[in-house]
Amino acid sequence: MAERGLARNMAKYILRRLLRSAVTLIIVFTAVFMLLRFMPLNGYFPQEMIKETDEATRMAYLRNLGLLDHPFVQLWRFVRSLLHGDLGRSITVYPKVPISTLMAEKIPTTAFLGFFSMLLGIVAGLSMGMMMVRRKNKLGDSLGNGYILLVRAVPSLIYLFFLQIWVSRWLNLPLVYDKDIPKSWILPIVCLSLSSVAWYALWIRRFMVDEENQDYVKFAFVKGLSRKAVLRKHIFRNAVIPITAYLPADLLNIVAGSLIIETLYAIPGTGGLLTTAIKRQDNNLVQVLVLMYAALSILGVFLGDLLLAFVDPRIKLTEEK
Amino acid sequence: MNEHKGPLLLSAKDVVIKFNLRGQELTAIRGASLDVYQGETVAIVGESGSGKSVFTKSFIGMLDQNGRVESGSLLFHGEDMTKYSAEAQWLKVRGKKIAMVFQDPMTSLNPVRVIGEQIAEVIMWHFHKSHDEAKKETVELLRKVGIEDPEQRYRQYPGEFSGGMRQRAVIACAIACRPEILICDEPTTALDVTVQAQVLNLIKDLQREMKMSVVFITHDLGVVANVADWVAVMYAGKIIEYGEAGEIFHQPEHPYTKALLRSLPQLGVKGHDLYAIQGTPPSLFKEIRGDAFAPRNMDAMKIDFEEEPPAFSVSPTHWAKTWLLAPEAEAYRQDLARRDAEASSAQTPSAPFDYGKAEPLLSVKNLSVHFKLGSSRVKAVDGVSFDIYKGETLSLVGESGSGKTTIGRAVMSIYSGNVEGGIYFKGRKINQKLSKKDRGKLRMEMQMIFQDPMASLNDRAKVDYIISEGLYNFHLFENEGDRLAKVEKMLREVGLTSDFMTRFPHEFSGGQRQRIGIARSLIMNPDFVVADEPISALDVSIRAQVINLLNRLKQERGLTYLFIAHDLSAVRFISDRIAVIYRGRLVELAACEELFSRPLHPYTKALLSAAPYPDPDVEKNKVIHIYRPEAGDAATAREWIEAFPFHFVLATREEAEEYRRENN
Amino acid sequence: MQSTIKTIARAHDPALFTRADFDQAESERIGVSNYSYWRSTLRTFFRSKLVILLVALMAAILLMSFLYPMISRIDPTKVSTRSRNWNLRPSWEHPFGTDTLGRDIFARAWYGCRNSFLLAFCIALSDVGIGMIAGAVWGYNRKLDPFMIELYNIMTNIPSTVYLVLLAYIMNTSYLTLFISMASRGWIVEARFFRNRILSIRDAEYNIASRCLGTPMLRIATRNIIPQIISLIIMEAALCIPYSIGSEVFLGFVGVGMPVDAITLGNMVNQGRASFTLHPYQMLLPTAVLCLITVAFYIIGNRFADASDPRNHL
Repeated sequence: MAERGLARNMAKYILRRLLRSAVTLIIVFTAVFMLLRFMPLNGYFPQEMIKETDEATRMAYLRNLGLLDHPFVQLWRFVRSLLHGDLGRSITVYPKVPISTLMAEKIPTTAFLGFFSMLLGIVAGLSMGMMMVRRKNKLGDSLGNGYILLVRAVPSLIYLFFLQIWVSRWLNLPLVYDKDIPKSWILPIVCLSLSSVAWYALWIRRFMVDEENQDYVKFAFVKGLSRKAVLRKHIFRNAVIPITAYLPADLLNIVAGSLIIETLYAIPGTGGLLTTAIKRQDNNLVQVLVLMYAALSILGVFLGDLLLAFVDPRIKLTEEK
Repeated sequence: MNEHKGPLLLSAKDVVIKFNLRGQELTAIRGASLDVYQGETVAIVGESGSGKSVFTKSFIGMLDQNGRVESGSLLFHGEDMTKYSAEAQWLKVRGKKIAMVFQDPMTSLNPVRVIGEQIAEVIMWHFHKSHDEAKKETVELLRKVGIEDPEQRYRQYPGEFSGGMRQRAVIACAIACRPEILICDEPTTALDVTVQAQVLNLIKDLQREMKMSVVFITHDLGVVANVADWVAVMYAGKIIEYGEAGEIFHQPEHPYTKALLRSLPQLGVKGHDLYAIQGTPPSLFKEIRGDAFAPRNMDAMKIDFEEEPPAFSVSPTHWAKTWLLAPEAEAYRQDLARRDAEASSAQTPSAPFDYGKAEPLLSVKNLSVHFKLGSSRVKAVDGVSFDIYKGETLSLVGESGSGKTTIGRAVMSIYSGNVEGGIYFKGRKINQKLSKKDRGKLRMEMQMIFQDPMASLNDRAKVDYIISEGLYNFHLFENEGDRLAKVEKMLREVGLTSDFMTRFPHEFSGGQRQRIGIARSLIMNPDFVVADEPISALDVSIRAQVINLLNRLKQERGLTYLFIAHDLSAVRFISDRIAVIYRGRLVELAACEELFSRPLHPYTKALLSAAPYPDPDVEKNKVIHIYRPEAGDAATAREWIEAFPFHFVLATREEAEEYRRENN
Repeated sequence: MQSTIKTIARAHDPALFTRADFDQAESERIGVSNYSYWRSTLRTFFRSKLVILLVALMAAILLMSFLYPMISRIDPTKVSTRSRNWNLRPSWEHPFGTDTLGRDIFARAWYGCRNSFLLAFCIALSDVGIGMIAGAVWGYNRKLDPFMIELYNIMTNIPSTVYLVLLAYIMNTSYLTLFISMASRGWIVEARFFRNRILSIRDAEYNIASRCLGTPMLRIATRNIIPQIISLIIMEAALCIPYSIGSEVFLGFVGVGMPVDAITLGNMVNQGRASFTLHPYQMLLPTAVLCLITVAFYIIGNRFADASDPRNHL
């Protein structure tokens, strides 16, 4: 009976959380859409029209696109076409190409690299953090901390740039990405995972060290379990819980890609798209990309909370009280 | 010669334990010895910092990283455990042969793993059994420690267990390997009195059944009287007296043991000062010369400051380390005994508070307090009404979570939004919007003393500022000199000197900090003081000081107290009337002696029967009433009925009639 | 146990077995008195030689970057028209060499440090300042929880790159834009951090005691709360500096950072990158300075955080 009660609480929790996310999504979507109305007007003109100086022609063009209507009307129109799967068309970057086609082409590349780098990040990061806790205040810990320090303190552009130049020469790897040469995938994937390795290692270490001071850990030692067993069965298990909340967001973010890395390695993915769109002033593309990132992040937070509620019994229990 | 029930299991000899702390060396244990025999319970009594926890932790090699056993030996089955260097050696003993239970059951269990697995893991680890076997054994264990419906409970998380239940689960963990020795480190201190009694019984039953030895660490002499066969009194890292429980309680020899027993509020005479131990325990950073207790001992001899006393035997089973037992001290001893006899015969209790011409100072009418927890509302206090008369001490007694602290804070207007009902001070309703001036005046007239002297002082401010805070707020001084004079006077009143003013709170001991907290409240010259468990966080040797201080200030300043407590022993000594609160509702209210001699409500009876009394003869024969509110009990309409004159109880009319019949 | 009882070997002077004087002050004396929070924090902090070195180095760089423009007569923006002054390798005259337009990189590095520091300080000030105030308001009003947590989640989950790039796109490139786009996001991270800290000390008994004494909010803030979190403020401010400089480099890379003629460390790194293959020193030297600064502040901030935690005062 108690279990059925817990299940009901869980359902209630999910529902409430879903509702909150939906409201947030609507508000953020609207706010970002309104913010995007401040984009430079030039960004709506295709290349051949940029030089057009006749004010009347320009206004007529804008009116034709519906850009002079009330922002809410524009929002409504955008949402309506969105529901039909129509994301609009790119203006300057890929003139007249439907953005949905564009995304369908680019997301697979980015997601492919992102997925492997995420796996690498989690596996390497967590094991590195574990290793650091096991060798706390010894050489392994210091090396790990040194790595975390470098990755987090040095601007990523700088180390990514040097890695590309030097490591590719040193290991004789291609300088740019080519989807037909698997050897060229290695550097981008490793580079993509560098910061997440540091992130996972840092937090698992910190959470584990925090857990180590808890009474229940001392009690586990008193029960006669070895340090290794306590680390694995109690400390790691508990420390990993807060981290699981970030997994969904991480997973969703692999479609966003990395701006720096995709630019450095000339990867035809979504990461460089936003910069290109901005440099070439392609407002339609900017708008879709930004809204997509916002939606993904809200979804990520929602799924993260959900996952957390499943793995951490304390959440179910507080809901009950 | 062997008065023990079984063979010797563990023998600690001249153990010295040192810690490194901020570049200084602290000697926590200064050569302590203890023998543990099979099937017996030895209680180690001492205040915080005496080293009782550290000492027993060394039995299982669980000292903190900056600590080490410097010298001495720990013989267990003939093997000296101080020689252990590898973890693997300890793992054969720890948890398997010698198990331990901690103080706080709320934090001893992993919150995200089910209870059953945490117990089963011990069995699997030590006996290499399969999961299924371990699970079966665990269910049996849970049943054995008194957890009903164990199959169901196996799959639950610690968050679904109450405090008492969790401690039972922790005990199940500890006894899973049928250890030879069970070390209990204040296992009931964090529990409510009624639950404490049950857990103590459980430990005793298990011990008898499994023929375990129990090493019981506690500061509570009542608990010692209940469980102990043998008592070791620890002070400043040494065991200073050892003997059978009866001998220690009835014929203590060391001045510290004597003082400890004499200062218990159960033995106090109302209206007189309790016997109080002066001062605070010594610093273990410095080398201690002579008898460590000598500086606090009013009747110390000169030799106590010169040389450390050896153990003098009193009987074959009882010894104490005090020079009073030396043949040379015979004359001094007799002199002391004569004085003690004179002092104790002179006291007669003061007359009870006269309610005939008393006027209420504070009235609480139908008070309810709600909290929002997640999406639901929790009623912490539910329709409570009482009056406090000018000059009396009303005690509010209940277990944790009963709402007693909430009432105290509501009276102090610390919760604003969710308080319903009326609180009237000097006839004026105060739980409403008041002008700034009125609120300020009220703040001066009503003050609060807090439970935890460590948390209630801002440790980034100097004592001078802490005590002056109220003076600054209302500009209660003419000039800087006047303010300093006031602070100094207040410090003297609470027994501290003015050179404390320029220091920070962390330089003081708990008792001293509590006195600073009292000074901070009373410098405002209040009429009414809410004292929220002011002694429960203090060491036994300090409590009497603070109780005396509160009583003296009350008499000198004509104060009225609302005293909040869970500990019945002190309550009986200081209060005029007692209100018992259970789950947010008052269940009984009566004058102090009336309540103790004629408790009506079953919960009050349970509470009184469970309270430990510091005498083994009383404790071993006591009967515990257990209060189990029946299902749907809360729904039954009960009223606040005056069953006897000035004796109120929450009951139905029929119940009240029955109470009257039973007690006439 | 019996065996531990020793017989008294020698006789004692009977005079010793008489009453001793009782000294009240002696009985109150305890030993843990030499602890002071700040002294222990600073001692723990400066115990590491690395920290001493880094703090000294940063102090020197900071001082120099503000003094250099006053004492040096080299104009960091002066373009040389003669090509023999271009791309000079490091020498005594030009310790860091010259860039593609013949500008002295050593001078530019100091100016760049100064400008980047100024920007970073402004951001640290606003992030920590606004964050602390918002965190305090948030901590004291539980009703804000759902709103603020959601806001926090969204603002921190949208990749910072998207956010910075978008704002920089909508506004024009300038110091102010850079400041606004970084500061408008940084505060909420700090607010959450301070909110958690304030929440844990808000209901501490000494704060309730202050309320019972009628202490006004302002004095509670200045006497009770700020002293408890001042070390956190210092630490957070120190950690803002690497973050700010890193963001600046990133935005320069995207092309929406500072105007090209502004001298900042970020711009210098990005400009040096263009000519890296031919003249690596043009990028390496400013990059080394930049990394030294970010790494040093990162270490200082973290070490200070460790040192300010009383649990580490061993």
